[in-house]
Amino acid sequence: MLRLRSDLPLRGDTASRFVFWIVAILVFVAALAVTASSYVDALLEGWNRSVTGTLTIQIPTGGAEDNSSASVSNMLDALRKHSDVVSAVVLPNEKISELLEPWLGESSIIADLPLPLLVDVHLSDSTAEAAKNIVELTQRTAPTAIVEDHRVWLNRIIGLAEGLSVIALSVMGLVTGALSLIVIFATRASLTEYAQAIDVLRIVGAKDGYVAGQFARRAFAQGFFGGIAGLALYGPTLGAITWLAGRVEKGLLPDITMPIRHWLILLALPAAAGGLAMFAANITVRRILARRV
Amino acid sequence: MAILHKKKAAFTGDTVQLEGVALRYDDGPEILHNVSLTIPQRSFHFLTGPSGAGKTSLMSLMYLARRPSRGRLRLFGDDVTGLKRSRAAHIRRRLGVIFQDFRLLDHLSAFDNVALPLRIAEIADNVVAQNVTELLSWVGLEEFMEARPSTLSGGQQQRVAIARAVVNRPKLILADEPTGNVDDTIALRLMQLFIELHKLGSSVIIATHNEFLVQRFPFPRLHIDHGTVNALPASAASPSLVSEG
Repeated sequence: MLRLRSDLPLRGDTASRFVFWIVAILVFVAALAVTASSYVDALLEGWNRSVTGTLTIQIPTGGAEDNSSASVSNMLDALRKHSDVVSAVVLPNEKISELLEPWLGESSIIADLPLPLLVDVHLSDSTAEAAKNIVELTQRTAPTAIVEDHRVWLNRIIGLAEGLSVIALSVMGLVTGALSLIVIFATRASLTEYAQAIDVLRIVGAKDGYVAGQFARRAFAQGFFGGIAGLALYGPTLGAITWLAGRVEKGLLPDITMPIRHWLILLALPAAAGGLAMFAANITVRRILARRV
Repeated sequence: MAILHKKKAAFTGDTVQLEGVALRYDDGPEILHNVSLTIPQRSFHFLTGPSGAGKTSLMSLMYLARRPSRGRLRLFGDDVTGLKRSRAAHIRRRLGVIFQDFRLLDHLSAFDNVALPLRIAEIADNVVAQNVTELLSWVGLEEFMEARPSTLSGGQQQRVAIARAVVNRPKLILADEPTGNVDDTIALRLMQLFIELHKLGSSVIIATHNEFLVQRFPFPRLHIDHGTVNALPASAASPSLVSEG
């Protein structure tokens, strides 16, 4: 650990020896919260990008007469002529099989299944009103067609994701609070432990800021190096999560990729922990000394 | 000895002035009653009295560890009532305090203990090194600069404590039983050290039970008993001192 000249024997301080490890754990938790938040953001962004302004029309096969190619053809014609429709494409069976693979595997079962006809519709207008018009048009031209408006389930997932983001943010808040409290308690304990030495410093002319500076430097070192230890714990954990996610069938989960800003947040965590610890220690010492003569 | 000559505002008044000062701890009885006295610049006083009479309490007022419960205390012209903490720190830098129990920081070497007041005053490292080395040599501890206080004898620790108190060339030296742990020979040597500092311009107050020193050196005496202070004349004494008890 960084060696700083100190007039107080704070390095061997029993009261705050555990602060390093608590900071490490808190930074580890904060890093996981950042990752979770980033992952949820990426998930949502991907889904949003892929389903906003899209509808999927499903036409069951092997049943009603309305599923005739004429009916489908009429529906497609009507859709393609509509001013809000950018494209209406029938998904080939290979693509449908690909979508089912994560759930059913690459077996020949898929080939034997009565796969529905799926039409992927892209709209130029992503409003609910436009979607409603398309649903009505589809049901007029192909009564057995089922139209899935992705915004319905996406809105629910967005609600869940926003909740998760709030939880991640709350975790960061809790980490900040817990780190501050632990530094405050450790600093108070150290002030009691070294009361006589602090008196000596003051009697030889030390101002409160000088004494507070000694504690603040120690707290920064504990916060910073504790933060680095926390990130060192986080690295293998992220590796393990990525490895486990990689084992899941492709398509079920998006890749765990974090934008650069989240990496920067992660890298800034040790300095942030150090800065917060330094601030908490400084304020604590100044407040307590201010009560003395 | 090269001692610091840091520029300080010139002060020409009395070093310490107490007017009707009383002191009590919390809600306890008064330890000091209605004490009025003046310690002029460049003066030398013994502070005597039985144990528990209030010598240490009186000194603690002078090094700003406590504030008077009543009355007025001025240090270097500053009224300590309502004194800002940063100003109090500056005043303490003009004091040199020697405690009966030394109060050395055991995790620091003798050198670092003595250097403490200079470092706190943000004196340059090379000046600190020069002054501390010379002062420790002057008190005969040049071979013990890197020693921890706990490895030194009582007398050596006392000299480290004295060196720490005087390294900043204080205007007022307050020594609480500085000869309490040494024999008369060393006590005389320490007294010579205080007299040298007095000649260099410091006011000195030495709290002591050592009648041998009080009789041997012709300095006026402040005698404290039951919380009141009386000025006792000494041979060749010329204190400017008023006391009410």
